[in-house]
Amino acid sequence: MNKEEIINRLKPIISTYAPASEALDEINEETDFIKDLKINSANLVDIILDVEEEFNIEIDNASMEKMLTVKASIEVILSKITKE
Amino acid sequence: MIGNDIVDLELAKIESNWRRPGYLNKIFTSFEQKLINEAKNPTLMVWLLWSMKEASYKIYATKTGIRSFAPTQLACESLNLNTSQAEGTIHIKNELFYTKSEIKPSFIHSLAATKRVDLPKISTAIYTHPNWLINYKTTGPKCVSHHGKYLALIY
Repeated sequence: MNKEEIINRLKPIISTYAPASEALDEINEETDFIKDLKINSANLVDIILDVEEEFNIEIDNASMEKMLTVKASIEVILSKITKE
Repeated sequence: MIGNDIVDLELAKIESNWRRPGYLNKIFTSFEQKLINEAKNPTLMVWLLWSMKEASYKIYATKTGIRSFAPTQLACESLNLNTSQAEGTIHIKNELFYTKSEIKPSFIHSLAATKRVDLPKISTAIYTHPNWLINYKTTGPKCVSHHGKYLALIY
């Protein structure tokens, strides 16, 4: 799986929790969940749980800590997928 | 240093389903989950602990410049709760924060401070939409929190 495929599978998950915005329409690797998308931090947990289901991976707390941006999320997902 | 966090309880009800499997484990330590399970009102306990963590995180992130999403590392170590107020402590790495929370039927507002003596010195202003203070930044708040219809400023 490449980065583009991961972003395409992440988009619908992220859109569930982000208010409509230009940043959401133009989501890319540099997008920050809180600063750019204004996602409520309590909903970051929902994103993590949805990502676990979508990619069939388990995200430990040390990995979750970094998942504040699309880029960091892709890195975590890639590292978990290759491990399995 | 001081920090604050407000939770609009009506919005939280719509926005988050904390009963979702796996949710509590990602946010709360075993001590905190015990507090939630044993609480008369578990939903209120979830958002009380959450606001204590968020208020403390704001100080921690400002002080250290570290941004991270590690809610279980911000661990509640003690909590004294009555119907309208709570006092407690939050521990992260080698820092300890003292918290004081106001519990209302429609919101929870938590204050955090690096020194316990600073808590009573904090003055708080809470505005309800649409009556928000428009130019609130010019009043020089030490910390700002908004959620749902509430805007909370501390000085």
